[in-house]
Amino acid sequence: MKKIVIEHLARVEGNGGVTVTIDGNIVTDVKFLVNEGPRLVERLTLGKTPEEDVNLVPRICAICTISHKYAAIRAMEKALNVKVGPKVKLLRELMHLGEMVESHALHVFYLALPDYVGFPNAIAMASKFPFEVKIALEMKQFGNHIMKMMSGRYIHGENPVIGGFGKFPDRDELVWIKNRAIQFMPFVIKTVTLFAELPYPDVPESETLYACCNPPDKKYGIVGDDIILSNGDIIDVQDYKSLTNEFIVSHSFCKRSQYKGKPYSVGALARVNCLGERLEGEARKMYKKYFNARWTKNPLFNNAAQALELAYSFERIPEVVDSAVALPDEAIVPYGQKDGKGAGAVEAPRGTLFHAYEVTKGLVSHTDIITPTAQNAEDIERYCTITARKLLESGQEDKIKDRMELVIRAFDPCVSCSVHAVQVKKAPAEDWKAKIAKIKAGVSPLIVGIGSAGHSDDAAGLELARRLRLHGVKDVWVEDETLDRTADWEKDKRRPILFVDALDFGGPPGKITIITLQHAAWSAVLSHRLLPLVTNRISFDQLKNSYLLGIQPASLEEGAHMSEPVVLAVEQILDRLKN
Amino acid sequence: MPDHKLKIGIYELTGCAGDALLILDCEEELVNIFKAAKIEAFLMAKSDNNDDIELDVALVEGSVSTEKELKELLEIRKRSKALIAIGICAGLGGMQAQLSNAEVWGDNFTAVYGGVEMAHSKPLPSKPIGDFVKVDYYLPGCPIGKEQFLSTFARLLGGNPPELYRFPVCVECKWHENDCLLNKNVLCLGPLTGGGCGAVCLNHNLPCVGCWGPSEEANRTAEYQLLREKGYDPGHIKNKMANFSGTRIFEFFSQFKGDTK
Repeated sequence: MKKIVIEHLARVEGNGGVTVTIDGNIVTDVKFLVNEGPRLVERLTLGKTPEEDVNLVPRICAICTISHKYAAIRAMEKALNVKVGPKVKLLRELMHLGEMVESHALHVFYLALPDYVGFPNAIAMASKFPFEVKIALEMKQFGNHIMKMMSGRYIHGENPVIGGFGKFPDRDELVWIKNRAIQFMPFVIKTVTLFAELPYPDVPESETLYACCNPPDKKYGIVGDDIILSNGDIIDVQDYKSLTNEFIVSHSFCKRSQYKGKPYSVGALARVNCLGERLEGEARKMYKKYFNARWTKNPLFNNAAQALELAYSFERIPEVVDSAVALPDEAIVPYGQKDGKGAGAVEAPRGTLFHAYEVTKGLVSHTDIITPTAQNAEDIERYCTITARKLLESGQEDKIKDRMELVIRAFDPCVSCSVHAVQVKKAPAEDWKAKIAKIKAGVSPLIVGIGSAGHSDDAAGLELARRLRLHGVKDVWVEDETLDRTADWEKDKRRPILFVDALDFGGPPGKITIITLQHAAWSAVLSHRLLPLVTNRISFDQLKNSYLLGIQPASLEEGAHMSEPVVLAVEQILDRLKN
Repeated sequence: MPDHKLKIGIYELTGCAGDALLILDCEEELVNIFKAAKIEAFLMAKSDNNDDIELDVALVEGSVSTEKELKELLEIRKRSKALIAIGICAGLGGMQAQLSNAEVWGDNFTAVYGGVEMAHSKPLPSKPIGDFVKVDYYLPGCPIGKEQFLSTFARLLGGNPPELYRFPVCVECKWHENDCLLNKNVLCLGPLTGGGCGAVCLNHNLPCVGCWGPSEEANRTAEYQLLREKGYDPGHIKNKMANFSGTRIFEFFSQFKGDTK
């Protein structure tokens, strides 16, 4: 087996990597790793005052500093029942739009574009694309300028506080922002055109579920008190856990999320998918011109969606300024409440960000922070699996590494948030023995033999099941029984399942490989009859802990006898599984 | 012509990447920075990074929080003539070092990650890089300041050591002619915190939160006693200072006389 390793993902924020394991011509495992060390932020906010918490949490991530501050303030104001006035609301939106402009401009031009035009970085790209590099710089600078004006400095400014702002910007400063935003529009339109028309490859297209904040009044926007999903579901932000369902995987310091047992995506592409029809003005025209079915299933279009959101932001900034300058400055709203509980959500540039707090006697007693990259991690792994599989199938193994980097980078992952690189490796030869030993050490597995008798080596799974039963091993089923006994599967959702099947993965006959069930499902190497059951009826825990044990057949033609290498493989597995 | 450009590497350990981002935020100067020196490694900005080259200067951001990072840090030190800690995480441990007391850290790690055994790199309680390698210079700040970074960079190009502010935030606050918040009975860490940020919070009518870490030249005992006389609880002051200054703050407080609490 072979491994592709991207040890340090360059041009993403923070320290992360990906490992893809290949056995023959199938992908047996993909891991999106977050190497960024653990900081235990949720714990170190405990015992702090709400104000100190709001000072600390933006330090989770420099790029999303405003989003963290804003989400924390929204959660604290919900918990402590603080109601701010209209000008504060507008200026918070302005600072948030500043971050959106800064982050999207940085990502699309500096981090993503070099891949599509063949340069290692944006500075090198300047020789051929001086105009794009210069405009990108100016856009980013403009976003930074807004953030600095509103928050006090480029990164981790302290001006936004619970109840309002320490200081309001002058009217002149705001009007300058408005005029500058209007001046940018022609270039912004060019930016949308550039990124909507980039030749995004088809691999890794695959449908997914999208989620984002649902802004009030049926408008496009970047905050909301509830969450909207592309399947139409609406979830109250206070009930955010029913969306995020956080869990931990051993290969990453970044926690994971799944909704109803499936990965989902957040970010600019999710917002455009859920809210695109609400866009107005030039952004609407561009949306109508470019949005098509590929945007609904190809994560690479996140770059285009971010460009489209640049148009939204540059059109929205003048509106916000016009409304804000007409209103008087507001004093910081004082509050006396010492106890409370609340959650707040904002759309960080890379997706929905949740902060939730409990305050007891004036001090933070519980903190929960769920970042966009943590929510995207499962889908990033899924899309990487699909990419690797499709490229392997079409004989383009050499392209896997670069293409996966493209996919991961398109998600604009912010790895610091979640707590550099793609790795492709061959699976170790004895991998299956180690994994079986591990399974046997835990809850006893349900073993399912898959295959059909009379098709030579395809009978391997059934043969193994028959022999295991002769040895008195309990809970051994064959494929046909499984279909009728789905209720049994659901009895114990923690119980691992071990499927055994003849699997053509391009190895020598009789070679054994092992794949986590999740990757087997994503790679479509499961028996077609079982696939819907696995994806719909198995609990998420089981999907993670269960495996498909594959034996390379010599032949699947009609015939009564299995080949000799496959018979030997069945013996070997039998040895390991019988008590 | 031989290449005499300074070879610089910029590295990120555990932190928010804000110091590296601040370097990227030097928009107008960025192209010149890349022209004036050979930036051999800067993961956030480029994908063609040289990871085994001898460096004149390594800039390291973030605290050490995994065994892998420790290995990386030792290796960077080995091939660098000068090593500069940028930002408060590298310099003092940062907010994550508040919990680096081994016992507390273990409990907290379990509380966040449950019983899952981490397979990729052994986590360590966060510590400043100076606990493991010789650090030649410290650029304080959370994040570092743009002016401070550019002046340091310019001095490095000329072969000179960085020249940093050594006075507390109060000095800069006075330059801006702000009213003293302590006189308005607002707990402000300005007297104890190192300057260089431009007294930015004070200019926004907000108290200093201490994010640049303890000031080297402040009359600490006197300033601290002043806060005590104002009636602030020493526990609260320490808790507030510890937010950003990590482990170093406990050494800092141990130097105070006449206040054993």
